[in-house]
Amino acid sequence: MSHVSLPEQFAFLEPFVATWGDLRTQDERYLKRQALPQGELEAFHAALAPRLEEVFVHLDRFDPKALPEAEALLFRVVLGLTEASQAVEIFGQPRVPYAPFPHSVNMEWVGFQPH
Amino acid sequence: MVDINEHMTKARELGLGNDQVPVEYYTSPEYFRREQDMIFRRAWLMVGRVDEVPEPGDYIVRDLPTLKANVIISRGKDGEVRAFHNACSHRGVALVCQERGNALTFRCPYHAWVYRVDGSLSAIPSEQDFPHVDKASNGLSRIHLDMWAGFIFLNFAEEPEATLPEFLAGIDVMLEGAPFEDFPFSIRVTDEIDCNWKNLVNAFNEGYHVAILHSKTLRAAVVPKENPHLHYLDVKHFGPHSAGTVQRNFDYNPQAPALTWVYAQMLPTSAPDIEAIKEGRAGFYEHPGINRLKIPNFGTETITIFPNISIQPLANGYLFYQFWPISEGRMRTEVRIYSRHEPRTLREEYAMASTLAATRDVVVEDMAMSRLQQIGFESGGKKFQQFGQNEPLLRMFTRDYEAYLAGGGLTPTPTQAEAAE
Repeated sequence: MSHVSLPEQFAFLEPFVATWGDLRTQDERYLKRQALPQGELEAFHAALAPRLEEVFVHLDRFDPKALPEAEALLFRVVLGLTEASQAVEIFGQPRVPYAPFPHSVNMEWVGFQPH
Repeated sequence: MVDINEHMTKARELGLGNDQVPVEYYTSPEYFRREQDMIFRRAWLMVGRVDEVPEPGDYIVRDLPTLKANVIISRGKDGEVRAFHNACSHRGVALVCQERGNALTFRCPYHAWVYRVDGSLSAIPSEQDFPHVDKASNGLSRIHLDMWAGFIFLNFAEEPEATLPEFLAGIDVMLEGAPFEDFPFSIRVTDEIDCNWKNLVNAFNEGYHVAILHSKTLRAAVVPKENPHLHYLDVKHFGPHSAGTVQRNFDYNPQAPALTWVYAQMLPTSAPDIEAIKEGRAGFYEHPGINRLKIPNFGTETITIFPNISIQPLANGYLFYQFWPISEGRMRTEVRIYSRHEPRTLREEYAMASTLAATRDVVVEDMAMSRLQQIGFESGGKKFQQFGQNEPLLRMFTRDYEAYLAGGGLTPTPTQAEAAE
Protein backbone atom coordinates (compact mmCIF):
# COMPACT_ATOMS: atom_id res chain seq x y z
CA MET A 1 0.00 0.00 0.00
CA SER A 2 1.13 3.53 -0.68
CA HIS A 3 1.71 5.93 2.21
CA VAL A 4 0.56 8.89 0.16
CA SER A 5 -2.67 10.60 1.25
CA LEU A 6 -5.31 12.29 -0.85
CA PRO A 7 -5.35 16.11 -0.94
CA GLU A 8 -7.11 17.19 2.23
CA GLN A 9 -10.35 18.47 0.64
CA PHE A 10 -10.91 15.07 -0.99
CA ALA A 11 -10.75 13.07 2.23
CA PHE A 12 -14.31 11.91 1.45
CA LEU A 13 -12.73 9.52 -1.06
CA GLU A 14 -10.48 7.94 1.59
CA PRO A 15 -12.74 4.84 1.97
CA PHE A 16 -12.12 4.03 -1.73
CA VAL A 17 -8.34 4.45 -1.84
CA ALA A 18 -7.58 0.87 -0.81
CA THR A 19 -9.80 -0.44 -3.63
CA TRP A 20 -8.86 1.84 -6.53
CA GLY A 21 -5.74 3.80 -5.55
CA ASP A 22 -3.12 1.24 -6.58
CA LEU A 23 -4.61 0.23 -9.92
CA ARG A 24 -2.49 1.38 -12.88
CA THR A 25 -4.28 0.17 -16.00
CA GLN A 26 -7.80 0.16 -17.40
CA ASP A 27 -7.76 -3.64 -17.40
CA GLU A 28 -6.98 -3.71 -13.66
CA ARG A 29 -9.92 -1.36 -13.08
CA TYR A 30 -12.17 -3.47 -15.31
CA LEU A 31 -11.23 -6.62 -13.36
CA LYS A 32 -11.77 -4.85 -10.02
CA ARG A 33 -15.24 -3.70 -11.07
CA GLN A 34 -16.22 -7.26 -12.02
CA ALA A 35 -15.09 -8.61 -8.66
CA LEU A 36 -16.75 -6.02 -6.39
CA PRO A 37 -20.29 -6.30 -5.03
CA GLN A 38 -22.71 -3.90 -6.74
CA GLY A 39 -23.31 -2.15 -3.40
CA GLU A 40 -19.66 -1.09 -3.16
CA LEU A 41 -19.69 0.21 -6.72
CA GLU A 42 -22.84 2.18 -5.96
CA ALA A 43 -21.37 3.70 -2.81
CA PHE A 44 -18.29 4.82 -4.74
CA HIS A 45 -20.42 6.23 -7.55
CA ALA A 46 -22.72 8.04 -5.10
CA ALA A 47 -19.76 9.66 -3.34
CA LEU A 48 -17.84 10.74 -6.45
CA ALA A 49 -20.06 11.16 -9.51
CA PRO A 50 -21.83 14.34 -8.30
CA ARG A 51 -18.46 15.87 -7.34
CA LEU A 52 -16.40 15.08 -10.47
CA GLU A 53 -16.31 18.73 -11.51
CA GLU A 54 -14.97 19.75 -8.11
CA VAL A 55 -12.18 17.14 -8.39
CA PHE A 56 -11.16 18.31 -11.85
CA VAL A 57 -11.22 22.00 -10.91
CA HIS A 58 -8.53 21.00 -8.42
CA LEU A 59 -6.62 18.76 -10.87
CA ASP A 60 -6.69 21.48 -13.56
CA ARG A 61 -4.04 23.34 -11.56
CA PHE A 62 -1.40 20.66 -12.20
CA ASP A 63 0.68 19.56 -15.16
CA PRO A 64 -0.85 16.21 -16.25
CA LYS A 65 2.62 14.86 -16.99
CA ALA A 66 4.04 15.78 -13.56
CA LEU A 67 1.31 15.25 -10.99
CA PRO A 68 2.36 15.46 -7.33
CA GLU A 69 1.90 12.13 -5.54
CA ALA A 70 -1.31 13.17 -3.77
CA GLU A 71 -2.95 14.35 -7.01
CA ALA A 72 -1.73 11.25 -8.88
CA LEU A 73 -3.38 9.11 -6.20
CA LEU A 74 -6.56 11.18 -6.44
CA PHE A 75 -6.66 10.78 -10.22
CA ARG A 76 -6.13 7.01 -10.02
CA VAL A 77 -9.03 6.72 -7.59
CA VAL A 78 -11.20 8.89 -9.84
CA LEU A 79 -10.36 6.80 -12.92
CA GLY A 80 -11.95 3.89 -11.08
CA LEU A 81 -15.26 5.58 -11.75
CA THR A 82 -14.84 5.06 -15.52
CA GLU A 83 -15.48 1.38 -14.75
CA ALA A 84 -17.77 1.69 -11.72
CA SER A 85 -20.12 3.98 -13.64
CA GLN A 86 -20.57 1.32 -16.35
CA ALA A 87 -21.80 -1.04 -13.62
CA VAL A 88 -24.00 1.59 -11.93
CA GLU A 89 -25.28 3.77 -14.77
CA ILE A 90 -25.48 1.22 -17.58
CA PHE A 91 -25.75 -2.40 -16.47
CA GLY A 92 -27.12 -2.34 -12.93
CA GLN A 93 -24.65 -5.11 -12.14
CA PRO A 94 -20.84 -5.36 -11.95
CA ARG A 95 -20.32 -7.64 -14.96
CA VAL A 96 -21.28 -7.47 -18.60
CA PRO A 97 -24.11 -10.02 -18.89
CA TYR A 98 -23.07 -13.40 -20.35
CA ALA A 99 -19.36 -12.48 -20.43
CA PRO A 100 -16.82 -14.87 -18.92
CA PHE A 101 -15.57 -14.08 -15.41
CA PRO A 102 -12.99 -12.95 -14.62
CA HIS A 103 -12.60 -11.29 -17.99
CA SER A 104 -9.34 -9.55 -18.87
CA VAL A 105 -9.01 -7.36 -21.97
CA ASN A 106 -5.80 -5.83 -23.27
CA MET A 107 -6.13 -2.06 -23.78
CA GLU A 108 -3.24 -0.02 -25.15
CA TRP A 109 -3.16 3.77 -25.70
CA VAL A 110 -0.84 3.90 -28.70
CA GLY A 111 2.03 6.30 -28.09
CA PHE A 112 0.53 7.67 -24.87
CA GLN A 113 1.07 6.68 -21.24
CA PRO A 114 -2.23 6.96 -19.37
CA HIS A 115 -2.37 7.23 -15.57
CA MET B 1 -37.85 13.68 -46.24
CA VAL B 2 -36.42 10.25 -47.01
CA ASP B 3 -38.83 7.35 -46.51
CA ILE B 4 -36.44 4.93 -44.86
CA ASN B 5 -38.77 1.98 -45.49
CA GLU B 6 -37.82 2.23 -49.15
CA HIS B 7 -34.15 1.79 -48.25
CA MET B 8 -34.32 -1.22 -45.91
CA THR B 9 -32.52 -3.45 -48.37
CA LYS B 10 -33.86 -7.00 -48.21
CA ALA B 11 -31.84 -10.07 -49.17
CA ARG B 12 -34.19 -10.89 -52.04
CA GLU B 13 -33.52 -7.50 -53.63
CA LEU B 14 -29.86 -8.48 -53.89
CA GLY B 15 -30.71 -11.92 -55.28
CA LEU B 16 -29.37 -13.62 -52.16
CA GLY B 17 -31.37 -16.82 -51.66
CA ASN B 18 -28.95 -18.55 -49.26
CA ASP B 19 -31.20 -18.43 -46.23
CA GLN B 20 -29.62 -21.46 -44.51
CA VAL B 21 -25.92 -21.78 -43.92
CA PRO B 22 -24.18 -24.97 -42.74
CA VAL B 23 -22.94 -24.88 -39.13
CA GLU B 24 -19.99 -26.94 -40.37
CA TYR B 25 -18.46 -23.73 -41.77
CA TYR B 26 -18.15 -22.59 -38.17
CA THR B 27 -16.98 -25.76 -36.46
CA SER B 28 -14.88 -27.81 -38.84
CA PRO B 29 -11.04 -27.85 -38.69
CA GLU B 30 -11.07 -28.69 -42.40
CA TYR B 31 -12.93 -25.48 -43.18
CA PHE B 32 -10.47 -23.52 -41.06
CA ARG B 33 -7.56 -25.00 -43.02
CA ARG B 34 -9.25 -24.02 -46.28
CA GLU B 35 -9.89 -20.52 -44.97
CA GLN B 36 -6.17 -20.14 -44.25
CA ASP B 37 -5.17 -21.25 -47.75
CA MET B 38 -8.02 -19.95 -49.88
CA ILE B 39 -8.92 -16.70 -48.10
CA PHE B 40 -6.15 -15.42 -45.84
CA ARG B 41 -3.30 -16.35 -48.20
CA ARG B 42 -5.12 -14.79 -51.18
CA ALA B 43 -6.98 -11.69 -49.99
CA TRP B 44 -5.28 -8.40 -49.15
CA LEU B 45 -5.22 -8.11 -45.34
CA MET B 46 -5.21 -4.81 -43.51
CA VAL B 47 -2.56 -4.67 -40.81
CA GLY B 48 -2.17 -1.08 -39.70
CA ARG B 49 -1.97 2.61 -40.53
CA VAL B 50 0.86 4.28 -42.36
CA ASP B 51 1.01 6.91 -39.61
CA GLU B 52 2.32 4.17 -37.31
CA VAL B 53 5.62 4.44 -39.23
CA PRO B 54 5.85 8.16 -40.08
CA GLU B 55 9.65 8.62 -40.12
CA PRO B 56 12.49 6.76 -41.88
CA GLY B 57 13.64 3.96 -39.57
CA ASP B 58 10.24 3.65 -37.86
CA TYR B 59 9.02 0.09 -37.64
CA ILE B 60 6.21 -1.97 -36.14
CA VAL B 61 5.92 -5.71 -35.65
CA ARG B 62 2.58 -7.42 -36.21
CA ASP B 63 1.61 -10.91 -35.28
CA LEU B 64 -1.07 -12.43 -37.57
CA PRO B 65 -2.32 -15.50 -35.74
CA THR B 66 -4.31 -16.90 -38.66
CA LEU B 67 -1.19 -17.48 -40.75
CA LYS B 68 1.20 -17.68 -37.79
CA ALA B 69 2.94 -14.81 -39.55
CA ASN B 70 5.20 -12.44 -37.67
CA VAL B 71 5.71 -9.35 -39.76
CA ILE B 72 8.01 -6.33 -39.65
CA ILE B 73 6.68 -3.19 -41.32
CA SER B 74 9.33 -0.51 -41.67
CA ARG B 75 9.97 2.77 -43.44
CA GLY B 76 13.35 2.80 -45.15
CA LYS B 77 15.76 5.73 -45.45
CA ASP B 78 14.32 6.16 -48.95
CA GLY B 79 10.87 6.77 -47.41
CA GLU B 80 9.35 3.55 -48.78
CA VAL B 81 7.25 1.38 -46.46
CA ARG B 82 8.00 -2.34 -46.75
CA ALA B 83 6.92 -5.55 -45.03
CA PHE B 84 9.05 -8.58 -44.19
CA HIS B 85 8.73 -11.86 -42.42
CA ASN B 86 10.46 -11.49 -39.07
CA ALA B 87 13.01 -14.26 -39.68
CA CYS B 88 16.80 -14.10 -39.96
CA SER B 89 18.21 -15.48 -43.22
CA HIS B 90 20.80 -17.45 -41.22
CA ARG B 91 18.88 -19.77 -38.88
CA GLY B 92 15.41 -18.27 -38.90
CA VAL B 93 15.27 -16.36 -35.63
CA ALA B 94 12.52 -13.74 -35.27
CA LEU B 95 15.10 -11.03 -34.81
CA VAL B 96 12.98 -7.93 -34.06
CA CYS B 97 11.55 -8.39 -30.58
CA GLN B 98 10.13 -4.93 -29.84
CA GLU B 99 6.61 -4.16 -30.95
CA ARG B 100 7.62 -0.77 -32.36
CA GLY B 101 10.60 1.53 -32.53
CA ASN B 102 13.03 3.41 -34.73
CA ALA B 103 16.22 1.80 -35.96
CA LEU B 104 18.99 2.11 -38.52
CA THR B 105 19.50 -1.64 -38.59
CA PHE B 106 18.03 -4.86 -37.21
CA ARG B 107 20.59 -7.12 -35.52
CA CYS B 108 19.83 -10.77 -34.90
CA PRO B 109 20.37 -11.54 -31.21
CA TYR B 110 21.60 -15.11 -32.02
CA HIS B 111 24.71 -14.57 -34.23
CA ALA B 112 24.52 -10.83 -34.99
CA TRP B 113 23.60 -10.93 -38.65
CA VAL B 114 22.67 -7.34 -39.43
CA TYR B 115 19.94 -6.00 -41.76
CA ARG B 116 19.16 -2.46 -42.85
CA VAL B 117 15.59 -1.23 -42.20
CA ASP B 118 14.90 -1.73 -45.92
CA GLY B 119 15.43 -5.46 -45.30
CA SER B 120 18.77 -5.81 -47.10
CA LEU B 121 21.46 -7.90 -45.42
CA SER B 122 24.37 -5.66 -44.47
CA ALA B 123 26.76 -7.77 -42.40
CA ILE B 124 27.57 -11.41 -41.57
CA PRO B 125 30.09 -11.92 -38.74
CA SER B 126 32.86 -14.30 -39.83
CA GLU B 127 31.62 -13.86 -43.37
CA GLN B 128 34.35 -16.13 -44.81
CA ASP B 129 32.48 -19.11 -43.34
CA PHE B 130 29.44 -18.34 -45.51
CA PRO B 131 30.92 -18.30 -49.02
CA HIS B 132 27.64 -19.71 -50.37
CA VAL B 133 25.54 -16.83 -49.04
CA ASP B 134 25.06 -13.98 -51.48
CA LYS B 135 24.22 -10.99 -49.31
CA ALA B 136 22.35 -9.24 -52.11
CA SER B 137 19.81 -12.06 -52.37
CA ASN B 138 19.58 -12.94 -48.67
CA GLY B 139 17.77 -10.00 -47.18
CA LEU B 140 14.65 -10.42 -45.06
CA SER B 141 11.82 -12.10 -47.02
CA ARG B 142 9.48 -9.50 -48.51
CA ILE B 143 5.70 -9.58 -48.25
CA HIS B 144 3.58 -7.75 -50.85
CA LEU B 145 2.43 -4.42 -49.41
CA ASP B 146 0.17 -1.69 -50.71
CA MET B 147 -1.75 1.17 -49.16
CA TRP B 148 -5.16 2.74 -49.44
CA ALA B 149 -6.37 5.79 -47.49
CA GLY B 150 -3.41 5.41 -45.16
CA PHE B 151 -4.25 1.78 -44.35
CA ILE B 152 -1.48 -0.76 -44.90
CA PHE B 153 -2.50 -4.01 -46.61
CA LEU B 154 -0.41 -7.15 -47.04
CA ASN B 155 -0.81 -10.03 -49.43
CA PHE B 156 0.81 -13.36 -48.58
CA ALA B 157 0.50 -14.96 -52.01
CA GLU B 158 3.68 -15.56 -54.00
CA GLU B 159 2.11 -13.34 -56.64
CA PRO B 160 -1.18 -11.61 -55.72
CA GLU B 161 -4.08 -12.56 -58.01
CA ALA B 162 -5.36 -8.98 -57.91
CA THR B 163 -3.87 -5.60 -57.17
CA LEU B 164 -5.15 -3.82 -54.07
CA PRO B 165 -7.42 -1.47 -56.08
CA GLU B 166 -8.81 -4.48 -58.00
CA PHE B 167 -9.37 -6.28 -54.70
CA LEU B 168 -11.15 -3.27 -53.18
CA ALA B 169 -13.50 -3.32 -56.17
CA GLY B 170 -14.89 0.18 -55.85
CA ILE B 171 -15.31 0.59 -52.11
CA ASP B 172 -12.06 2.54 -52.29
CA VAL B 173 -13.62 4.84 -54.89
CA MET B 174 -16.75 5.40 -52.80
CA LEU B 175 -14.61 6.33 -49.78
CA GLU B 176 -11.96 8.30 -51.67
CA GLY B 177 -10.83 11.26 -49.60
CA ALA B 178 -12.61 10.13 -46.41
CA PRO B 179 -10.72 11.92 -43.64
CA PHE B 180 -9.24 8.96 -41.76
CA GLU B 181 -5.99 10.90 -41.32
CA ASP B 182 -7.79 13.52 -39.21
CA PHE B 183 -8.07 10.93 -36.44
CA PRO B 184 -4.51 9.70 -35.84
CA PHE B 185 -4.70 8.80 -32.15
CA SER B 186 -5.82 5.29 -31.29
CA ILE B 187 -6.56 3.05 -28.37
CA ARG B 188 -6.24 -0.66 -29.18
CA VAL B 189 -8.42 -3.23 -27.48
CA THR B 190 -7.55 -6.90 -28.02
CA ASP B 191 -9.06 -10.07 -26.71
CA GLU B 192 -9.12 -13.76 -27.61
CA ILE B 193 -12.36 -15.71 -27.40
CA ASP B 194 -13.57 -19.23 -27.90
CA CYS B 195 -15.64 -18.82 -31.01
CA ASN B 196 -15.40 -18.91 -34.76
CA TRP B 197 -14.26 -15.58 -36.25
CA LYS B 198 -17.25 -15.41 -38.58
CA ASN B 199 -19.61 -15.17 -35.59
CA LEU B 200 -18.17 -11.69 -34.99
CA VAL B 201 -18.08 -10.76 -38.69
CA ASN B 202 -21.79 -11.56 -38.82
CA ALA B 203 -22.58 -9.65 -35.62
CA PHE B 204 -21.22 -6.46 -37.17
CA ASN B 205 -23.16 -7.04 -40.38
CA GLU B 206 -26.68 -6.78 -38.97
CA GLY B 207 -28.51 -4.35 -36.70
CA TYR B 208 -31.27 -6.81 -35.83
CA HIS B 209 -29.59 -7.74 -32.51
CA VAL B 210 -28.87 -4.21 -31.31
CA ALA B 211 -32.17 -3.50 -29.52
CA ILE B 212 -31.97 -6.86 -27.73
CA LEU B 213 -28.35 -7.73 -26.95
CA HIS B 214 -27.32 -4.10 -26.51
CA SER B 215 -30.53 -3.06 -24.73
CA LYS B 216 -28.63 -1.32 -21.93
CA THR B 217 -25.59 -0.08 -23.84
CA LEU B 218 -26.72 1.07 -27.28
CA ARG B 219 -30.47 0.87 -27.74
CA ALA B 220 -31.38 4.28 -26.35
CA ALA B 221 -28.63 5.98 -28.31
CA VAL B 222 -29.00 4.32 -31.69
CA VAL B 223 -32.28 2.45 -32.24
CA PRO B 224 -34.84 4.90 -33.66
CA LYS B 225 -38.61 4.52 -33.22
CA GLU B 226 -39.16 4.27 -36.98
CA ASN B 227 -36.65 1.39 -37.34
CA PRO B 228 -37.03 -0.77 -34.20
CA HIS B 229 -34.97 -3.69 -35.59
CA LEU B 230 -32.25 -1.32 -36.79
CA HIS B 231 -32.38 -2.54 -40.35
CA TYR B 232 -29.29 -1.30 -42.20
CA LEU B 233 -30.24 1.19 -44.89
CA ASP B 234 -28.96 1.62 -48.45
CA VAL B 235 -26.88 -1.57 -48.49
CA LYS B 236 -24.11 -1.25 -51.06
CA HIS B 237 -21.75 -3.93 -52.26
CA PHE B 238 -18.43 -3.85 -54.06
CA GLY B 239 -17.12 -7.31 -54.86
CA PRO B 240 -17.15 -9.02 -51.46
CA HIS B 241 -17.04 -5.70 -49.55
CA SER B 242 -20.07 -3.78 -48.39
CA ALA B 243 -21.46 -0.75 -46.63
CA GLY B 244 -24.77 0.01 -44.96
CA THR B 245 -26.11 3.14 -43.31
CA VAL B 246 -27.10 3.08 -39.63
CA GLN B 247 -29.20 5.67 -37.82
CA ARG B 248 -28.85 7.22 -34.43
CA ASN B 249 -31.11 9.08 -31.96
CA PHE B 250 -29.97 12.68 -32.00
CA ASP B 251 -32.19 13.47 -29.01
CA TYR B 252 -30.39 10.88 -26.86
CA ASN B 253 -29.49 12.77 -23.74
CA PRO B 254 -28.02 10.64 -20.97
CA GLN B 255 -29.05 11.78 -17.51
CA ALA B 256 -26.69 9.65 -15.43
CA PRO B 257 -24.25 11.95 -13.60
CA ALA B 258 -20.88 10.42 -14.59
CA LEU B 259 -21.88 10.03 -18.24
CA THR B 260 -23.32 13.55 -18.36
CA TRP B 261 -20.06 14.92 -17.00
CA VAL B 262 -18.09 13.01 -19.68
CA TYR B 263 -20.30 14.43 -22.46
CA ALA B 264 -19.59 17.92 -21.17
CA GLN B 265 -15.80 17.40 -21.40
CA MET B 266 -15.37 15.69 -24.72
CA LEU B 267 -18.01 14.02 -26.84
CA PRO B 268 -17.61 10.27 -27.08
CA THR B 269 -16.41 8.93 -30.45
CA SER B 270 -19.97 8.12 -31.49
CA ALA B 271 -21.92 11.17 -30.25
CA PRO B 272 -22.81 13.69 -32.94
CA ASP B 273 -21.41 17.16 -32.53
CA ILE B 274 -24.49 19.14 -33.56
CA GLU B 275 -22.59 22.43 -33.84
CA ALA B 276 -19.91 20.87 -36.04
CA ILE B 277 -22.53 19.29 -38.32
CA LYS B 278 -24.28 22.66 -38.74
CA GLU B 279 -21.01 24.31 -39.60
CA GLY B 280 -19.94 21.59 -42.04
CA ARG B 281 -16.84 20.51 -40.14
CA ALA B 282 -18.06 17.15 -38.90
CA GLY B 283 -15.44 14.97 -40.57
CA PHE B 284 -16.95 11.87 -42.13
CA TYR B 285 -20.47 13.36 -42.12
CA GLU B 286 -19.53 15.59 -45.04
CA HIS B 287 -18.19 12.82 -47.25
CA PRO B 288 -20.36 12.06 -50.31
CA GLY B 289 -19.83 8.27 -50.06
CA ILE B 290 -21.12 8.22 -46.50
CA ASN B 291 -24.83 8.65 -45.73
CA ARG B 292 -25.78 8.85 -49.41
CA LEU B 293 -29.45 9.06 -48.38
CA LYS B 294 -28.69 12.20 -46.38
CA ILE B 295 -30.86 10.96 -43.54
CA PRO B 296 -30.93 13.60 -40.82
CA ASN B 297 -30.33 11.15 -37.96
CA PHE B 298 -27.28 9.53 -39.53
CA GLY B 299 -25.23 7.46 -37.07
CA THR B 300 -22.61 5.53 -38.97
CA GLU B 301 -21.82 3.68 -42.14
CA THR B 302 -20.84 0.11 -41.32
CA ILE B 303 -18.14 -0.69 -43.85
CA THR B 304 -17.03 -4.29 -44.22
CA ILE B 305 -13.82 -5.10 -46.00
CA PHE B 306 -13.54 -8.78 -46.79
CA PRO B 307 -12.57 -11.00 -45.11
CA ASN B 308 -12.20 -9.70 -41.57
CA ILE B 309 -12.62 -5.94 -41.15
CA SER B 310 -15.40 -3.63 -40.09
CA ILE B 311 -14.95 0.15 -40.05
CA GLN B 312 -17.48 2.57 -38.59
CA PRO B 313 -16.88 6.26 -39.32
CA LEU B 314 -18.44 8.29 -36.51
CA ALA B 315 -18.87 11.89 -35.53
CA ASN B 316 -15.63 12.30 -33.61
CA GLY B 317 -13.47 9.57 -34.99
CA TYR B 318 -13.95 6.06 -36.22
CA LEU B 319 -13.99 2.51 -34.94
CA PHE B 320 -11.98 -0.22 -36.57
CA TYR B 321 -12.64 -3.89 -35.83
CA GLN B 322 -10.65 -6.86 -37.07
CA PHE B 323 -11.36 -10.53 -36.53
CA TRP B 324 -8.52 -13.06 -36.84
CA PRO B 325 -9.21 -16.78 -36.74
CA ILE B 326 -6.76 -18.78 -34.62
CA SER B 327 -8.57 -22.08 -35.15
CA GLU B 328 -12.12 -23.05 -36.06
CA GLY B 329 -13.16 -22.42 -32.45
CA ARG B 330 -10.91 -19.60 -31.32
CA MET B 331 -10.29 -16.07 -32.58
CA ARG B 332 -8.68 -12.75 -31.76
CA THR B 333 -10.69 -9.53 -31.84
CA GLU B 334 -8.81 -6.29 -32.31
CA VAL B 335 -10.66 -3.01 -31.89
CA ARG B 336 -9.12 0.39 -32.42
CA ILE B 337 -10.84 3.57 -31.32
CA TYR B 338 -9.49 6.46 -33.39
CA SER B 339 -9.71 10.06 -32.18
CA ARG B 340 -8.49 13.48 -33.27
CA HIS B 341 -5.74 13.67 -30.68
CA GLU B 342 -4.32 12.12 -27.55
CA PRO B 343 -5.70 13.43 -24.25
CA ARG B 344 -4.36 16.93 -23.57
CA THR B 345 -5.81 17.31 -20.09
CA LEU B 346 -6.79 15.02 -17.25
CA ARG B 347 -10.43 15.81 -18.07
CA GLU B 348 -9.90 14.45 -21.57
CA GLU B 349 -8.02 11.44 -20.27
CA TYR B 350 -10.94 10.61 -17.98
CA ALA B 351 -13.45 11.14 -20.80
CA MET B 352 -11.48 8.94 -23.20
CA ALA B 353 -11.05 6.21 -20.57
CA SER B 354 -14.79 6.34 -20.00
CA THR B 355 -15.54 6.08 -23.73
CA LEU B 356 -13.02 3.23 -23.93
CA ALA B 357 -14.84 1.35 -21.14
CA ALA B 358 -18.22 1.95 -22.80
CA THR B 359 -17.04 0.89 -26.27
CA ARG B 360 -15.27 -2.16 -24.87
CA ASP B 361 -18.37 -3.26 -22.98
CA VAL B 362 -20.45 -3.19 -26.18
CA VAL B 363 -17.86 -5.37 -27.92
CA VAL B 364 -17.76 -7.63 -24.86
CA GLU B 365 -21.50 -8.13 -25.30
CA ASP B 366 -20.95 -9.16 -28.93
CA MET B 367 -18.08 -11.43 -28.00
CA ALA B 368 -20.05 -13.02 -25.15
CA MET B 369 -22.90 -13.82 -27.54
CA SER B 370 -20.49 -15.19 -30.16
CA ARG B 371 -19.05 -17.53 -27.53
CA LEU B 372 -22.51 -18.80 -26.56
CA GLN B 373 -23.27 -19.23 -30.26
CA GLN B 374 -20.16 -21.41 -30.63
CA ILE B 375 -21.22 -23.57 -27.68
CA GLY B 376 -24.58 -24.04 -29.39
CA PHE B 377 -22.98 -24.87 -32.75
CA GLU B 378 -20.56 -27.38 -31.27
CA SER B 379 -23.26 -29.13 -29.31
CA GLY B 380 -24.19 -30.62 -32.65
CA GLY B 381 -27.98 -30.43 -32.70
CA LYS B 382 -28.21 -27.85 -35.48
CA LYS B 383 -26.89 -28.46 -38.96
CA PHE B 384 -27.78 -24.98 -40.23
CA GLN B 385 -28.19 -21.41 -39.03
CA GLN B 386 -30.86 -19.20 -40.59
CA PHE B 387 -30.26 -15.82 -42.19
CA GLY B 388 -33.32 -13.57 -42.55
CA GLN B 389 -34.36 -11.19 -45.30
CA ASN B 390 -33.19 -8.50 -42.91
CA GLU B 391 -29.69 -10.00 -42.78
CA PRO B 392 -28.60 -9.52 -46.40
CA LEU B 393 -24.97 -8.84 -45.55
CA LEU B 394 -24.65 -12.19 -43.77
CA ARG B 395 -25.87 -13.95 -46.90
CA MET B 396 -23.57 -11.85 -49.04
CA PHE B 397 -20.53 -12.59 -46.89
CA THR B 398 -21.34 -16.32 -47.01
CA ARG B 399 -21.74 -16.27 -50.80
CA ASP B 400 -18.34 -14.62 -51.23
CA TYR B 401 -16.78 -16.85 -48.57
CA GLU B 402 -17.91 -19.89 -50.55
CA ALA B 403 -16.57 -18.36 -53.76
CA TYR B 404 -13.13 -17.84 -52.20
CA LEU B 405 -13.03 -21.38 -50.82
CA ALA B 406 -13.81 -22.66 -54.30
CA GLY B 407 -10.83 -20.77 -55.71
CA GLY B 408 -12.70 -17.70 -57.01
CA GLY B 409 -13.90 -14.58 -55.29
CA LEU B 410 -11.25 -12.26 -56.60
CA THR B 411 -12.97 -11.72 -59.93
CA PRO B 412 -15.25 -8.80 -59.25
CA THR B 413 -18.91 -9.80 -58.85
CA PRO B 414 -21.39 -7.57 -60.71
CA THR B 415 -22.42 -4.41 -58.92
CA GLN B 416 -26.04 -3.78 -57.98
CA ALA B 417 -26.54 -1.65 -61.08
CA GLU B 418 -25.06 -4.24 -63.43
CA ALA B 419 -27.01 -7.06 -61.79
CA ALA B 420 -30.25 -5.14 -62.29
CA GLU B 421 -29.71 -4.82 -66.02
